[in-house]
Amino acid sequence: MDPAPAPYTIRINGHLGATLLAAFPALAPQHHGAHTVLTGLLDQSALYGVLAEIEALGLELLEIRKLTPDCTSPEPGDRYSP
Amino acid sequence: MPGLVTGAGRGRGYQGGPLTVTRAAPRLIDRGDLVAALDRAAVSKVTVISAPAGSGKTSLLRAWAGRLGQPGRLALVQVQRGQQDAQQFWLALLGAVRHATGADSGAEPPTATPEFNAPAMAGRVLSELASAGGGITLVVDDLHELNSPEALPQLTQLLTSLPPQVHAILTTRHDVPLRLHQLRLAGELAEIRAVDLRFSEDETRELLDASGIALSDSGAALLHQRTEGWAAGLQLAVLSLAGHTDPERFVAEFSGSDRTVAEYLIAEMLERQPADVQDLLLRTSLLDRVNGELADLLTGRPGSARILLDLEDANAFVESLDPERTWFRYHHLFADLLRLELRRRLPEEVPALHRRAAGWFTVQGQVAEAIRHTQAAGDWAEAARLLADHSFSLTLDGQAQTIQALLRAFPPGADHPELALVRAMDDLAQGRLDEAAAHMTVAEAHVRTMPPDRQRRLRVAIASLKLSLARRRGDLADVVEQVRFLASPVTGPSDEDIALGSDLRAVALMNLGTAEAWSLGLPDAERHLREGAVLAREIGRPYLEVGCLAQFAFAYIFHGAATPNVDAFAATRQRCREAIELAQRYGWGTEPVIAPALLTLAGNLIMTGEFDGAERWLQRSERALQTDAGPDIRLLLHQTAGMLHAGRGRHREALEEFTEAERLQSQLERSQALATQLTGWLLASQARAGLPGEARALLAALDDEGADSGEIRNARAVICLADGDPAAALAAVADVLDGTAPVLGYVTVVEAHLLAGLAHRELGDQRAANQAAERALALAESDRLVLPFAMTGSAELLEALPPHQTAHAAMLADILDILHGSSPAAEEQSSSPPVEELSPGELRVLRYLPTNLSRPEIAAQLSVSLNTVSTHLRSIYAKLQVRNRSSAVQRARELRLLAAGRTR
Repeated sequence: MDPAPAPYTIRINGHLGATLLAAFPALAPQHHGAHTVLTGLLDQSALYGVLAEIEALGLELLEIRKLTPDCTSPEPGDRYSP
Repeated sequence: MPGLVTGAGRGRGYQGGPLTVTRAAPRLIDRGDLVAALDRAAVSKVTVISAPAGSGKTSLLRAWAGRLGQPGRLALVQVQRGQQDAQQFWLALLGAVRHATGADSGAEPPTATPEFNAPAMAGRVLSELASAGGGITLVVDDLHELNSPEALPQLTQLLTSLPPQVHAILTTRHDVPLRLHQLRLAGELAEIRAVDLRFSEDETRELLDASGIALSDSGAALLHQRTEGWAAGLQLAVLSLAGHTDPERFVAEFSGSDRTVAEYLIAEMLERQPADVQDLLLRTSLLDRVNGELADLLTGRPGSARILLDLEDANAFVESLDPERTWFRYHHLFADLLRLELRRRLPEEVPALHRRAAGWFTVQGQVAEAIRHTQAAGDWAEAARLLADHSFSLTLDGQAQTIQALLRAFPPGADHPELALVRAMDDLAQGRLDEAAAHMTVAEAHVRTMPPDRQRRLRVAIASLKLSLARRRGDLADVVEQVRFLASPVTGPSDEDIALGSDLRAVALMNLGTAEAWSLGLPDAERHLREGAVLAREIGRPYLEVGCLAQFAFAYIFHGAATPNVDAFAATRQRCREAIELAQRYGWGTEPVIAPALLTLAGNLIMTGEFDGAERWLQRSERALQTDAGPDIRLLLHQTAGMLHAGRGRHREALEEFTEAERLQSQLERSQALATQLTGWLLASQARAGLPGEARALLAALDDEGADSGEIRNARAVICLADGDPAAALAAVADVLDGTAPVLGYVTVVEAHLLAGLAHRELGDQRAANQAAERALALAESDRLVLPFAMTGSAELLEALPPHQTAHAAMLADILDILHGSSPAAEEQSSSPPVEELSPGELRVLRYLPTNLSRPEIAAQLSVSLNTVSTHLRSIYAKLQVRNRSSAVQRARELRLLAAGRTR
């Protein structure tokens, strides 16, 4: 397993407001339609920490994706650039 | 309605506060279909309710349990938030089971120990459940909070071997790795998941009606659609809608928003609360449990208790934890959202709030909670100081795993020197001796920088740790001198200092006295252990009291052994029994802490030839030492087992045990006090087992000091006799008999007389042989010492004594009875382990054990399941302290449990 932090996007149902976003200070939020996409550099333990937070807050997790430089981001035309 | 009992160990260490009995909150609607679904599920052995936060798991449990006419009894445990301490969880579970079965009246509450034995604890829970005769439902709420890797395998074990008529219901936010596939295959596992818990549209309508909210059918449908029937969302919506001037508009706006349900509704709900209520909710959200006093402290206003009661009455995610309704907790999801809101609105106040809470918990003596809040405030140095000061008390409270969790919470890299002491303790507990020593060195260097009061206290702590380290390493002599100062009282200016000091001092006295007992500093050992036991009792530390008394019993072995003494053996047995009885009162009858007393009692009974009784205590010692890897006590275990075999003339088996003991001896950095005794018996067993050559080789390798001791001289005589050289044997024991050779106790002298007698017999000098036997009897009589006669195989020597010429005819007859294998001198009833009474069900199964029926056949005969028979068998073996069917039958015969007509 690669121990270095890697870019991840995490898609959650609904728009997260300021209160809920305070739970994910290390991630950048974007609204896509009715979803919120959180993006940030995470190593494995940070990733599991985020997942635990999502569970604790009763949020609906839709998708997690690890981004590689050549892979398209979940939204068309919304390419991840390091 | 029957109260739901949340079990809670009420030991001083239990951080959760009160024993909690939750009432069913008034429910708005009766979700009859759902309750019926749980009813159907609960027919299975195990039911898992697995669904995300806010799905209504706990509400369902309450509704199900709170119905009128609910049969059976409930043992309910609510896992504390982020519980990382397996022992706290098991104590709560055991407490709940005992409360449900009524077994807790009059008994000591389950008490934590520093040496937690998880499998034994699961076994205790099972046996409590089995003896309750069924009709119990075990409920574990919030299982996902159990964050201890050791706890789940034991819980799996418990769930897969539940006795008949016992069911379990678990709630969790996510599926936990319990290995329940066997139950699943057997159709004994039922599940209720998020989709089952969801409110239907009709139920949503019903909920609105019951709350007096006038909403159109389309509005209700919209609300249901927007919340997707999620229980927490609906309940939040109801709180905002109650008394709302325009509910239709509220629902329309909510429905038009893209924000998550919880965030939207909690903002709405908060906004509708008066300012003081909002403020209270936000500021107290960082507590796991809150009461009026604590809330007043955090808000800086009186009257919080009233607000909390009102919130609970309004179904606003607040629930009381005790029948008096003084302690409350918030629904976890609700608390998490409030906490985020607090951080957003009042970020600069958060550390101060944690500090205030920490201060309050410190005053209440809830140290772990205080440390958690100090850490949350970011006051790492202060948190380290608190943890260092209280680490001994927390360990005594059985919270070693809590200490580990607190240690992990410190930021990596920035290690505070205060923590070296705590890490040393943890290392020691985990058997990492070198790391422990390194951390102690760091701690010692740091202590020199402290103010005098703390310096003194921490020096006591470090010295105490050094003693346990030295004991584990078997290197006591130097360290005992260094730490003599431990015996004087620790004083401090405040009550807290004195309390901490008393815990420390009691531990120090136990460690010091133990070290002295094992290195033969007897009068000091006795004095320190007795003082330690008295202090431990005064300060309510039964674990330390048991520990001191167990070592006290052990210390007496030597004291009594110096000369024949009419009372020595009786007094030792008395001490052993007192220690064992106290240990049993707390459920520690087979914990490592009592092992020294168990082994001492076994050894003592072996000395007087009561071999069967001794064997049972020895078996119990083995069980007690399953989890303790300390070489010193294991050495004693094998040495005692060797004595038993040697006494029964089983020299091969004795040799195996003595060899293992000798191997452990070599792991100690210094010889233990009884080393020459062990080596002597090892050599003698080799010679008697037909290996005199090996014995001679080993003998030649001994240093002069060892070879000159009376014990080794006796061994040399045994080897000479085996080699057919009685004259050399006589020469070997000459210095023992004339008192010039050093001996460990007079047992060695009795043995020397007997060996001399055997040698004289070989040489054809019957008169001298008789004189030697007579001297041995004279020495042995006052303590009724039998072992040397049995070990040396002196039956013929004794039989040759003309009865009318001996002054010890009664003793002679007793010894001969034992040597000829007839039942040992009638052992007093109390010498054998007290047997827990068997239940009627167990007795019925027991009666079939002497037959050759298999377990399934017994089950068929009794018309019960195989599972029932197996459960009873496990319980029978445990109670009779045997390991197999034939020894169970034998033991049952001795106890006259098989006699016909004895039915209850």
